[in-house]
Amino acid sequence: MFKNTLGGKGRIVGSAVIVLLFLFPLFLPRFYIYLISIILLTGLLATSLNLPLGYGGIFQFHHAVFYGVGAYAAALMITKSGLSPWVGFVVGPFAAAFLSLIMGLICIRLSKLYFGMLQISLGSLVWIIVYRWYSFTGGDNGIHGIPVPEIISSQNNAYYFTLLVTLLSLWALYKIINSPFGSALQGIRDNPVRSGMIGINVKLHQLMVLVIAGFFAGVAGSLFIVVDTAVFPDMLFWTLSLEVLIMCLLGGWFTFLGPMLGAAVIISLRTFVSGFTDYWTLPLGILMMLVIFFLPNGILGYIQDKLYGKIAEQAEAVEQTDLAQPAVKES
Amino acid sequence: MLEVKTLSKSFGGFVAVNRANLSVEKGEIVAVIGPNGAGKTTLFNLITGVLKPENGKVFFKGEDITGLPSHEVCKKGISRSFQVVNVFQRLSIFENVQIAILSRERRTWNLFTPSSKLAVEETNEILESVGLMGKKGRTTGLISHGDRKVLEIAMALGGNPELLILDEPTAGMAPEETSRCIELIKDLSGKRGLTILFCEHDMEIVFGIANRIMVMVRGGTIIQGSCNEVRSNQAVQEAYLGGSDVC
Amino acid sequence: MDLIYTIFSPKLMSQIFVGLSRTVILFIVASGLSLILGVLRIPNIWHGSLYMVGAFMTFTISGAIGGGSLGFWMALFLAPLGVAFVSLIAERSFFQHLYEREHIMLLLLTFAFSLVFGDLVKMVWGMEYKSVPVPRVFQGSVHLFGGLPFPLYNVFLLGIGPIVAVALWLIVNKTKIGKISRAAAVDREMVGAVGINVSWVFAFVFMIGCLLAGLGGALVAPTVNVSLGMDHTLIMEAFLIVIIGGLGNIWGALLGALIFGLAQSLGILIWPQFGIVFPYAAVIVVLLLRPTGLLKSTW
Repeated sequence: MFKNTLGGKGRIVGSAVIVLLFLFPLFLPRFYIYLISIILLTGLLATSLNLPLGYGGIFQFHHAVFYGVGAYAAALMITKSGLSPWVGFVVGPFAAAFLSLIMGLICIRLSKLYFGMLQISLGSLVWIIVYRWYSFTGGDNGIHGIPVPEIISSQNNAYYFTLLVTLLSLWALYKIINSPFGSALQGIRDNPVRSGMIGINVKLHQLMVLVIAGFFAGVAGSLFIVVDTAVFPDMLFWTLSLEVLIMCLLGGWFTFLGPMLGAAVIISLRTFVSGFTDYWTLPLGILMMLVIFFLPNGILGYIQDKLYGKIAEQAEAVEQTDLAQPAVKES
Repeated sequence: MLEVKTLSKSFGGFVAVNRANLSVEKGEIVAVIGPNGAGKTTLFNLITGVLKPENGKVFFKGEDITGLPSHEVCKKGISRSFQVVNVFQRLSIFENVQIAILSRERRTWNLFTPSSKLAVEETNEILESVGLMGKKGRTTGLISHGDRKVLEIAMALGGNPELLILDEPTAGMAPEETSRCIELIKDLSGKRGLTILFCEHDMEIVFGIANRIMVMVRGGTIIQGSCNEVRSNQAVQEAYLGGSDVC
Repeated sequence: MDLIYTIFSPKLMSQIFVGLSRTVILFIVASGLSLILGVLRIPNIWHGSLYMVGAFMTFTISGAIGGGSLGFWMALFLAPLGVAFVSLIAERSFFQHLYEREHIMLLLLTFAFSLVFGDLVKMVWGMEYKSVPVPRVFQGSVHLFGGLPFPLYNVFLLGIGPIVAVALWLIVNKTKIGKISRAAAVDREMVGAVGINVSWVFAFVFMIGCLLAGLGGALVAPTVNVSLGMDHTLIMEAFLIVIIGGLGNIWGALLGALIFGLAQSLGILIWPQFGIVFPYAAVIVVLLLRPTGLLKSTW
């Protein structure tokens, strides 16, 4: 996956990064380990969002619902049933995927912005139920002190578990993007009419991608429980959804690793800024504006464009000799 | 092979297609012509499932395909190119054609095999036959208009169709590109045995390669017949009087 | 009279009226949102912040002018104008450059603005709740329905609601600029082709929409704790109302606000703990039956 983003050298850089990630607990203070764990799982969440968003062209405006539902489902499973936490961790993603299927079936009939807004509506309903159902979900307090299996309960082990699961999930998502399904998805993003015309059942493929995205969002939710042993209703709130969207945009939503990079930047920035001042949303808002106006393809997108821009320039030079397009008449 | 009977479609008060009739025999090249706004593209949209007709029927190889969604129509063996270029801009030429093939092979539900390994030979074959092999790595957002129209046809071929519907295939092309395109169409019909239905503005092309011609005016069929029959038909001549806007 | 009393218990009627006053506020804000959404196709997340700013400005202005009735009236006049002015500047400086880009960029920009303003409000006004006193003229209650008190201020709101609705309707349907806006909502290129400066039409519509948000905030100020976070809950509700009413449809916003406001107050009556879920459930029902909204949308 690094090869695609950065060329041959990418492989070396990528491997180095992974090795470094495994070595971190040996020399970094606890707080940083916690932070990196959060970055990893949020990056996974953002990458799962980018599947329908950047690769599918679907306006997934309330992705956080699946994250939150995955986390809550896992948490409730662990705390209310007598079963092992591992069961909870597995239930989470499937619950999220199931919700994704239901919401997808309702929203998929509509396109673009309508889809996004309907999703926000349904998601808000889920949020308010969780927020209000004090006796069952802990209401605005959330659920704390969730028991986690011994083996991953220490800070470092939780980190390694998160790292492992995240890498595996990213690998799976990468495979999916490069499969025929992924190609079809990108085709749908670029041109749904064309896709239908070459035999692709557009709605069905879109539904599938929503379910996959929901599943991995649920995985991120379960990971949060491992790292933090708690869940909060904020995990379902639309502001988180938009923050994750910003992460994709910032990193580059036509690239695979962009969302992960975006997550790293935003979470680091937030932690850093919060150390000085209470006013985090202001710099975030300004950062967003900068990205929207100057880096619409995100950081990695910008780098990619630069790297491959040269090839495109050569292509354009050849194109200059071809004729320009005349106006098209109606038949 | 293709039978269109009294097909109709209106948008609000405007009747776009008015009880149109069309027949295409296997192996034929049939052209649809008519003044601007006559409803040719709408007719194609109705046949290929982009739009649903209000009245009338479409039969393909004896089967009623009226109102089927596009992806179903494609699976029956009909492929189509669009008048306004409709390709996957962010993907390369190679990927554009490859997707068409993968879709035909029902492989688009494959989640784990890398695309780069599948259908490579066939994609290359098609690219070779339309003359785009040299540019296959280029992003389609960046190639010339003429190449994009050829890519449209290439994508249609990816579906391995029996009937190929081309909506103004040479629109906006330079003379050399146009003659290349004509040769390609002749090839597809002659060597590959494809049945071809197309619409065009250029009368020379139409009379040059079509076996039969259907004339549409204001959404309805005036006549369908051989080149000579159409040329000598009264109604057709009337339709073209007073307008240099031929088809 | 007796028959009415038996069907509509005093408590029920009282709750309905409370719901209706809430409806007025929701309608005013949602209609602004709907206007912007319908004509400019922007889902304006910033709307919530502007509502909040309207409320806080009302606090400041009425406080500055002695905290009495005059203060409130001045605030009611000045706060929405202030909000409109700010929105105009924002639209001209930032938003208009994005009209040619994908929609999602505009949505994200409005979100960015709401983030920035969320903190600006915190900086300027601090974190504690603020209270805006009800103007003297409306203090006290009127006793309706078997003696249950109904705040006079809410009666005022019930009066303002239809006035705003009618004024809005007049502007949109009877003025030249209103008609141009409606045309631009359907086909902006055509409007530009006829020689009208579409850009300024958009600026105007955006400003009016935001003004309504500020007005809503100013009107609600005496009835609630003016606090941070007002923007978040309200924008969610406003969007839902606009969706169920039909995007861009002002009457739809009214209908949606009615459903929402009444569902909320009746819900609380029937099931105090979960009453607040009722409007959201109503939204889902509506969307399942008519996903594009109850009334015609301009999209």
